[in-house]
Amino acid sequence: MKHLKQTLRGAALLALLSAPALAETTGPGGEAATPSSSVIVDDAVVAKVQAGGHKAALLWHDQSDFVNAVTAGASDEFARLGIEVVAVTSAGFDAAKQRSDIETAMAKQPDIILSLPLDPVTSAAAFAEAKEAGVALSFLSNLPAGYEHPQDYAAIVTDDLFQMGKQAADALAASMGGKGTVGWIYHDATYYVTNQRDNAFKATIEADYPDISIVAEQGISDPARAEDIANAMLLKNPDLGGIYVTWAGPAEGVLAALRANGNTSTKIVTLDLSEPVALDMVRGGNVAAIVADEAYELGRAMAASAVLDLLGEKVPPFVVAPAVTVTADNVVEGWKRSLNAAPPASLASQ
Amino acid sequence: MTLAYQKLKSFDLQQGVIYIGFLAIFLFFALTLHDDGFLTSRNLTNIVLQTAPATIMAIGLVFALSAGEIDLSFGSVVAVSALSAAVVMQHFPMPVGILAGLGAGLAIGAFNGALVAYGRLPSFLVTLATMGLFAGIARTMTDLRSIPVLNENFTGLFGSGKLLSVPSLVIWTAIAVGIGHIVYRNTRLGAHVLAVGDNARAAQVSGIKVARVRLYVLTLCGGCAGLAGLLYAGRLQAAKYTLGESDLMTVIAAVIVGGTALNGGKGSVIGALLGSLLMGMLNNGLILMGLDVSDQMIVRGLIILLAVAVSLRDTSR
Repeated sequence: MKHLKQTLRGAALLALLSAPALAETTGPGGEAATPSSSVIVDDAVVAKVQAGGHKAALLWHDQSDFVNAVTAGASDEFARLGIEVVAVTSAGFDAAKQRSDIETAMAKQPDIILSLPLDPVTSAAAFAEAKEAGVALSFLSNLPAGYEHPQDYAAIVTDDLFQMGKQAADALAASMGGKGTVGWIYHDATYYVTNQRDNAFKATIEADYPDISIVAEQGISDPARAEDIANAMLLKNPDLGGIYVTWAGPAEGVLAALRANGNTSTKIVTLDLSEPVALDMVRGGNVAAIVADEAYELGRAMAASAVLDLLGEKVPPFVVAPAVTVTADNVVEGWKRSLNAAPPASLASQ
Repeated sequence: MTLAYQKLKSFDLQQGVIYIGFLAIFLFFALTLHDDGFLTSRNLTNIVLQTAPATIMAIGLVFALSAGEIDLSFGSVVAVSALSAAVVMQHFPMPVGILAGLGAGLAIGAFNGALVAYGRLPSFLVTLATMGLFAGIARTMTDLRSIPVLNENFTGLFGSGKLLSVPSLVIWTAIAVGIGHIVYRNTRLGAHVLAVGDNARAAQVSGIKVARVRLYVLTLCGGCAGLAGLLYAGRLQAAKYTLGESDLMTVIAAVIVGGTALNGGKGSVIGALLGSLLMGMLNNGLILMGLDVSDQMIVRGLIILLAVAVSLRDTSR
């Protein structure tokens, strides 16, 4: 769920780890994952692409530092290939606005559209005009319902979902010395992105850490309820060694609950960078690590997959970018690697 | 000379700002974006199609504001209406779905209206509360799921269809604006709405059933939002709980820029149409100019601020 990646994000524990794509991450239709590092527009064809005078539109679902990093990655790749970015939009999570943005951008006759379809159902009709016009569509994370590869779209690009959950499990286990009890707060919705990340955490703990047991499980759909959920979890399990939180927004609520309880021993691990969560981590608080994706690389891979599609080359249907474990020790490099930006001053000065 | 001066002096800046603003911005985009597809018939049609739901909501709001009331809940009504129609059409024929969607809008509008007219509660607070209430109901109706609308007659009638080459959304807009304008300008109801908004006590003394007028305008707001919900469902071929959520400020801005007074007694349906088209044209033109998203928001905000400032400055005299 890319829209969970809002606000600035942050720092923490092991060392900067990035892992190649694993077969465990699968696409919305069960597609096997291809690492983004293998989706490359070769230097030999750059001149040919540049001569094509192609145009691209970036039609995003929202604005955030995550989207900015994806945009930067895509824009730099397009600049290398001599492709003009003719429109950049934000739908603010409004499906009707996304449809309007697509129609408006089509007036500029783009050859490429990069976008995160807001949801499979409403976006099916929204992208139909672009699809029928033969625009190369590269989607971030979501796929409009009924769209078939390769005739309808170039690729879906997303995080290495399994690796994010696995690295979160490894980081939390390391912070707990490989033993203790854990609470698991997962995204209570049917969404393959968060579901795979959450389940990878659980599967890794269960398979790789025999001395750690998951003693509490709680789903969350409204981030505003995170504090209540954490309070209830701590009431029943006061000796909880660690809590996994499905993404950074609710992790802020869990952190508030721990602080309110004067709890300094329970460790938190979460996904996606967030400045408040990262600040706790660099100050030696409850947060042990944050696992993030390489957003800049996501943008580059989206652009590259669309260009390869334009060139008539075979493009893998489901592409994943690496995960990065960010800890207090590598917050500057981790932030840069994930968002292609320096961390906020509050973190860098710690 | 004297006649021309008098005409100029009597020009109503508040009513006129929308015509001047609309023309100025259209000319600006036409000149700067003529190579970028702005003036193509496809793009200009798109602007009308994209603004059709907001225009229809704006008509309802013109009546409510003119009567001295406000409706903040219409965005939530849009979602409830669209979802009602989509869910019902999964099991029943299209006319039942349409009735469900419109009926939901009218019923919520009547609920708001009854609380305001007979419960003697301020419409701002009532509709602020029902905005949240029905946003929550929209979320629970389908457990946050989007519902596809597969009935091609429905999507043709309310979305992508055409009659004699005219898109159905343009026809709906024309019908709603035409009826709204006539009722507002040429009927007893329209006169009563303005009288109540101008001075409710005087209207009451002169025999106007003030409570009934308030009930009518808020029911109309709900009905317009219901129709807007059907248009969204037809256009997207799906219904979702977020539909209409972001329309509140756009529609209020369109209505105010279009010359309707926030404090009642004055308004214009044609102005609201132009205000809505202006908002759509700004969205469209600023994207085509290639501005980044933050700059689009800043420029749009400044232009709306300028237009509203001119309108309200005149009102306060």
